[in-house]
Amino acid sequence: MRTTQLVTTPTNTRRPDDPEGAADNLIEVRDLTKRYGSTHVLRGVSFSVRRGELFGLLGTNGAGKTTTVEILQGLRRADGGSVDVLGLDPGRAGDRLRRLVGSQLQDAALPDRMRVGEAIDLFASLHPAPRPLRELAEEWQLTHLWKRPFSALSGGERQRLFVALALVGCPEVVFLDELTQNLDPVGRRRTWDVVRQVRDAGTTVVLVTHDVEEAERLCDRIVVLNRGRVVADGTPAAIVESLGGAVRVQFTDPRIDLRPMRHLPGVVSVERHGSTVHVEGTGAVLAHVGAHLVAKERPAEDLSAHRPTLEDRFVALTEESSS
Amino acid sequence: MTATIAARTSTRATSSDAVATARRLTAMELRLLLREPMVGVGLLGFPLVIVLVLAGVFGQVPDPAFGGVAPDQHYLAGSIGVVIAAMGMLTLPVHISTHREVGVLRRFRASGLSTGVVIASQIAVGVILGTVAVAVVLLAGTAVYDLQTPVDPLGVLGWYVVGLACFIAIGVALGSVLSTGRAATAVGNLIYVPMFMLGGGGPPRGAMTGAMSSISTVLPLSHIIGGIRLAWLGRTDDPHTLWWPILVAAVAVATAVRAERRRAV
Repeated sequence: MRTTQLVTTPTNTRRPDDPEGAADNLIEVRDLTKRYGSTHVLRGVSFSVRRGELFGLLGTNGAGKTTTVEILQGLRRADGGSVDVLGLDPGRAGDRLRRLVGSQLQDAALPDRMRVGEAIDLFASLHPAPRPLRELAEEWQLTHLWKRPFSALSGGERQRLFVALALVGCPEVVFLDELTQNLDPVGRRRTWDVVRQVRDAGTTVVLVTHDVEEAERLCDRIVVLNRGRVVADGTPAAIVESLGGAVRVQFTDPRIDLRPMRHLPGVVSVERHGSTVHVEGTGAVLAHVGAHLVAKERPAEDLSAHRPTLEDRFVALTEESSS
Repeated sequence: MTATIAARTSTRATSSDAVATARRLTAMELRLLLREPMVGVGLLGFPLVIVLVLAGVFGQVPDPAFGGVAPDQHYLAGSIGVVIAAMGMLTLPVHISTHREVGVLRRFRASGLSTGVVIASQIAVGVILGTVAVAVVLLAGTAVYDLQTPVDPLGVLGWYVVGLACFIAIGVALGSVLSTGRAATAVGNLIYVPMFMLGGGGPPRGAMTGAMSSISTVLPLSHIIGGIRLAWLGRTDDPHTLWWPILVAAVAVATAVRAERRRAV
């Protein structure tokens, strides 16, 4: 099993006596294992989450994401390995830890007849210094829903309420599990904006998702889980880059001489199909091809490039590690 | 509404201890239960109608078949047990199981609401609901049939407390074992109806066959209602062994604890 490890923390932010940046880690997971009966759900998962980052736990359904975050919150016991969240062992600290973190769970609900205001009021009472409720309700557009029962809320309204409940205690870390499921595209993008705001305000966010686009657009760093193992760890760009050699540039020019282009930096191959030229390469191949066309006074109006996406890499990683 | 939110905000920091949280959760749970029409029907409506009808059917003349007491007094005194059994076998388990089914308990736990606080609030809900329901049924019964004053008020209180503890324990155990609200409704009714019929809420023991009378003797409700009738009316044919409902309650508590531990894995 190969794990793609892509270190991304700028080294100039680390202390001289802490070259690995461990002091900045709010969550440390080492060799985590978990079985349900004879099914191995987690097989030695290790990763860390740094203070202030928007961290993504990405994986297909059944990859072990939810089990992992449930162990991080002390909602499940691990069979092996070690977990440290805010300096506490979730298996022992239990309720104490859960009052320090925020949590939006997948497949959790509130009583049908509980009103929005009652829910916020109740969950706020669990924390010594909760967010001002009015501010929180306005931020998550819940003010006009204050007296509405949970059963009468739409999918998007419920998600907004759950995130507000997760943030009501001003947590240092918030876990958001499949946050945007059941949301329409507009609601999804609006929610992404607010999650970025949460991160920008200083809260460390652990986002659990199977949505590659969501992870790519939102996360500073991603761990990809597949069948209970970490198969990649890094920034979305670094994970994509690790796919390597797959930037495809194309433009229309029936008469350009292709031979000099084969010697441009990063170019792997050049082919002509009819009047269209296809260039495959790595790194800044697009810039070099563009500069070459300008230098030859043959700038192409339709010059374009296709870069591998995180989704391409995600599919490759999961297929590779499953085979 | 804005003013209401602001007022709540200002009191927030003082209510973080477990007792305050349990109190707040209990108030919330009671409000939610009062919004459920079926709670009123199951907890108040059914016992009230049955007790008043039975008391009316068998009349007010002391009868040897009822241990020598008037049937209306027999049923009204027994209504205390009937009501707390309905609370323990219908209301509480359905409420707890539905909470679990839709993820409310998980949501509470993830927010640092400890299992102890949640259980304490369920016990408090049971005590308050049971007491209010018993008071309503007794007041209605007194208004219609002129219930006599208890011979031994402290004895009535003692048996009431034992009965309440027993059926709250059974309710929490059923709620812990059964995963869905529908399962809790089905199982609760399956247990409650025969227990009501044979445990002192239905025909007097003198009217039962030998087999039914034997089954009646092992039901905790028979002993609780028997103890209450003895303390209230001064005599009864019903069994009234104190340790039996206490033993059932202990088994129920152990069952609930085991079920919760298994779920925590």
